[in-house]
Amino acid sequence: MNSNAVVKLNNVSVRYGKATAVDDVSLSVSPGSVYALLGRNGAGKTSLVRCLVGQQKPTHGVVTIFGRSVWNDRASLMSRVGIVPEDPDAPPEMTTTEIVRFCARLYPKWDAAGVAERLRRFDIPQTIPYGRLSKGQRRQVLLSIVLAGSPELLVLDDPTLGLDVVARKELFEELVTELAERGTTVVVTTHDMPGIEAIADRVGIMKGGRLVLDEDLETLKWRFRRLRYATAPVPAESVELNQLETTSVRRWGNGTEAVVSNYDDVLLERFRSVSGVRNVEVSPMSLEEIFIAVAGEQKGADS
Amino acid sequence: MLEINPGDAVPIWRQIEDEIRRLLAAGALVAGGPVPSVRDLARDLRVNPATVSKAYQHLMVAGLLEVRRGDGTYVVEVPPPMKRSERRDALAAAAVRYASLAFTMGASREEALKELEAACERLDGHTRRKS
Repeated sequence: MNSNAVVKLNNVSVRYGKATAVDDVSLSVSPGSVYALLGRNGAGKTSLVRCLVGQQKPTHGVVTIFGRSVWNDRASLMSRVGIVPEDPDAPPEMTTTEIVRFCARLYPKWDAAGVAERLRRFDIPQTIPYGRLSKGQRRQVLLSIVLAGSPELLVLDDPTLGLDVVARKELFEELVTELAERGTTVVVTTHDMPGIEAIADRVGIMKGGRLVLDEDLETLKWRFRRLRYATAPVPAESVELNQLETTSVRRWGNGTEAVVSNYDDVLLERFRSVSGVRNVEVSPMSLEEIFIAVAGEQKGADS
Repeated sequence: MLEINPGDAVPIWRQIEDEIRRLLAAGALVAGGPVPSVRDLARDLRVNPATVSKAYQHLMVAGLLEVRRGDGTYVVEVPPPMKRSERRDALAAAAVRYASLAFTMGASREEALKELEAACERLDGHTRRKS
C-alpha cells in the first residue's frame, strides 16, 4: 500500500542531545493531495519539515520523496520540490526584482509571467530591499518564486503566519489554483485551521514530538461530534455514554456537553434509547475544535 | 449562489453535490446550460479542486452533468428518470436526516409526520398552481 506515495516517513526520530523533538513518526502523502501537519508550538513540526526537505538528517528513520532517500539524494530531489520555510532567507539588500531575476536562472522550468502576476496580486513592492519587507511579504515573495519553478511537491512551513486576513485569502486562492492547474502535492504546517480546513485531504497532529493523529479529514470530521443534553430528572453522573467514547465531558446543572470521538448514527440512537436522556443535540466540530480536543489541554495524557 | 460550510460534518464534496442538485431542482441551473469549471468553482469556494471534481464525478455518474470534450461541463439536456432503487435510497437518506433532526429537537413521531404531511400539501398546491 502507498507504494506511489510522494512523501514517506518511516519511523523518523530527531534528538538534540537528550531532548527528543520528533519521536518515531511514520506517515505518507499521496500524489496530488494536501497534507496538513498541525501541532502546538514546540510539538516538533519544524524539525519534521527540516528532515522532509533534507536540511536535517533524522537521528533515526528514513524520509523518502518520490521513492528516493531525501538525505542521500537531496541535491537532485530538491529541484522537484518547492520549499517556503517559516523564516525565508534571502540577501536583505537585494530587491524583489533582483531576487526573482537571480532565481530564474536556477530552475530548469521557469514561469516568468506567472511570478510577475503573483507578485502583483500579492501587492509586493518590487523595488525596496528584501530586508525591509515584512515577514509575511517575504514568504509571499518566496512562494511566488517557488511556484514559478513548477514544483511537484510543495512544502510550506506556516505560510500564513504574519499575514492579514486579505493576504491569507489570496494565499489560499493561490494554492487552490496551483492544485487545480498542476495537481501539486502539498505538505503544509499551519495554525490557520479555518483556512486549511477546506483544502486539506489529510491531517496529522503532532504532540510532544509524536504523531498522535494521522487521518483523512473527511473521516475525522465525521467521527468527532459535540453532544449536548439535559439529564434531569436523572443525575448527570449516572448517565452512561454507552459505547460513545469521549475526549471531554463537562457538566453544569442538568446540562452535559461531551466531545465524542467515535460518533455514528447507530451509537447515538442506542445512547438515546438506553440513557433515557432527552433533547440530545449533536453538532459538528470544526477542524480547530477537533484540534483543541486532540492536542489541547489535558497534560500528562501521553506517557 | 452555491453555499457550503467547511465546518459541517457533511463532507464538502457531498455539500457541493447537494447544492448543485438543489440548484437544478430550483431551476437556477438549466438543462443544457454550463456549470462552473472545477477550477473556477474551487477558487470561488476556496476548496480543494479535487473536492469539486469528486462532486462533479458523482453528478456525472448520476447522469445529471456531462463533460463536452474541450468545452466544459454542462447540465444534461434531458435528465435521466431516476431508477426506482435510486429514488428509494435517496428518499430513505433524506428521511433519516429529517427524522434525526426532528428527534434531536425533541419532536414526537406524530409531530414530525404532521409537518411532513403539511410540507407535501404546500408543495403539491404550489406545483398545481404553477402548471
